Amino acid sequence: MKEVLRFENVSMRYHTKQGETVAVQDLNFSIREGEFTAIIGPSGCGKTTLLSLAAGLLAPSNGRILSSGVSFGYMLQRDELFPWRTIEKNLYLPLEIKGTNTPKNRERALALAEKYGLKQFLKSYPSALSGGMRQRAALIRTLALNPDVLLLDEPFSALDYQTRLNVCNDVYKIIREENKTALLITHDISEAISVADKIFVLSKRPAKILSEHVVSFPEDEPLKRRENKEFSKWFEILWEELNS
Amino acid sequence: MKYPMTRLGEYTQEHLDYLKRQKKKNATITVARVAILLVLLLIWELAARFEWVNPFITSSPSRIIKTIGGLYADGTLFYHVGTTLSETLIGFFIAVAVGYSVALLLWWSEIFRKVSEPYLVVLNALPKIALGPLIIIWCGTGSEAIIFMTVLIGLIVAILNMLGGFMSTDENKLLLLKSMGASKWQILTKLVLPSALPEFISMLKINVGMAWIGSIMGEYIVSKAGIGYLIVYGGQVFKLDLVMSAVLILCVLAAAMYALVSLLEKLVVKNTQ
Ligand SMILES: Nc1ncnc2c1ncn2[C@@H]1O[C@H](COP(=O)(O)OP(=O)(O)O)[C@@H](O)[C@H]1O
Ligand SMILES: [Mg+2]
Repeated sequence: MKEVLRFENVSMRYHTKQGETVAVQDLNFSIREGEFTAIIGPSGCGKTTLLSLAAGLLAPSNGRILSSGVSFGYMLQRDELFPWRTIEKNLYLPLEIKGTNTPKNRERALALAEKYGLKQFLKSYPSALSGGMRQRAALIRTLALNPDVLLLDEPFSALDYQTRLNVCNDVYKIIREENKTALLITHDISEAISVADKIFVLSKRPAKILSEHVVSFPEDEPLKRRENKEFSKWFEILWEELNS
Repeated sequence: MKYPMTRLGEYTQEHLDYLKRQKKKNATITVARVAILLVLLLIWELAARFEWVNPFITSSPSRIIKTIGGLYADGTLFYHVGTTLSETLIGFFIAVAVGYSVALLLWWSEIFRKVSEPYLVVLNALPKIALGPLIIIWCGTGSEAIIFMTVLIGLIVAILNMLGGFMSTDENKLLLLKSMGASKWQILTKLVLPSALPEFISMLKINVGMAWIGSIMGEYIVSKAGIGYLIVYGGQVFKLDLVMSAVLILCVLAAAMYALVSLLEKLVVKNTQ
């Protein structure tokens, strides 16, 4: 499988009046097409920074970030649906921004919404939807531009535990079904194990890569993975590494 | 938007009781409000009528009605009301429009924002009435001077309030738009302006008050007509009935203008939680 994104000795420093913060240091890793990669690290270690670098929203202080001309779609911790727009209009937002708000693209977005159970909510405002439904709408909005790679910044952490498990399951299935490459960053070890093909473990700030694990389960669904005996073994391994 | 839980006919008795109680409570509040007003007016009237107080100084409801009737009869009521109303409205709209535009400019350019900050702070703190003599010299003693005063009083407040609204745009929503590759113009029109709508409305509300302060204060300094003029004139010739009548008219007009803004709020700010 070909590489879609590659970090080469990437470092990133923030400059503020209070001083200089090294957010990430000498990162080397790559992600491959079709893979679901998870990066775990403690809070404040530089995960969001890493994702912003990947999306090209920030330029690295040192090193290079190579991508094979793929397009990125960003999904944030909260759904960030605009409360003054209906769900339908929210889905069209990225199309408007890109200037590709054509009937064909709108139809594509609507088809996705319908396929993944949002049809009845299209004319509703976000406040009428549950947290899980809203996060699903946020995913469909991200998919509306048909990006090659999804960048997920702790997309479930604002949800309560029950909802988080279910939405994670949903989102995973949608991403698989749409054949997207995904890069998930999270501080939640079990979430990473339940979805990832590959896991990178980050150190405390400045984030460095401590280890890389290829994860494979016979089950292809987060909720089922969690029931597998292997799951807790993985959890122990990663827990050790994160807290060492 | 909420789901209609059940249709009206399907509400439980408990919920119907709740609705009834709520309705009763609201009715009680309204009745109490009106009653307090009526009782106060009655006491005022009686106190003046039986000369417990000097009606020459305190006026009374019936004298106020008579005075307003007199103004209406000699045709000056609408002249004075119209003068002040137009000054207030023109001043209000100029302050709001210019304030909004300047706030936009300041949002757009960080340098501009930083440079102008001390000026805004000082201008905001300055009591505008101190500029009275200057205004007379610059604008004369006509309506222009009063409109100028109204604008002056409302403008800085409008700028600061709107800028606050624009600057408090949600960081994560900004990040989201940037990740989609939005231009600054798109960020402005798709996110900043709509999300600052509540601040816009609250700025309008504040500026209704500011505009009345401005126009009445302006009329105190210079004027030949208007409600503020009636108040000053009434004070000078010791016609307290006239002063009270003018204040009453002012209350009604200010309340009406505030109500209009509230109505606008109901119409536009529906879905921004
Ligand atoms: N815009 C910024 N300016 C200055 N420092 C920042 C900025 N963004 C993040 N940081 C700092 O960089 C570090 C990493 O932040 P972040 O990437 O958000 O971590 P995480 O997502 O893992 O919680 C933190 O110490 C944070 O304070
Ligand atoms: Mg983060």
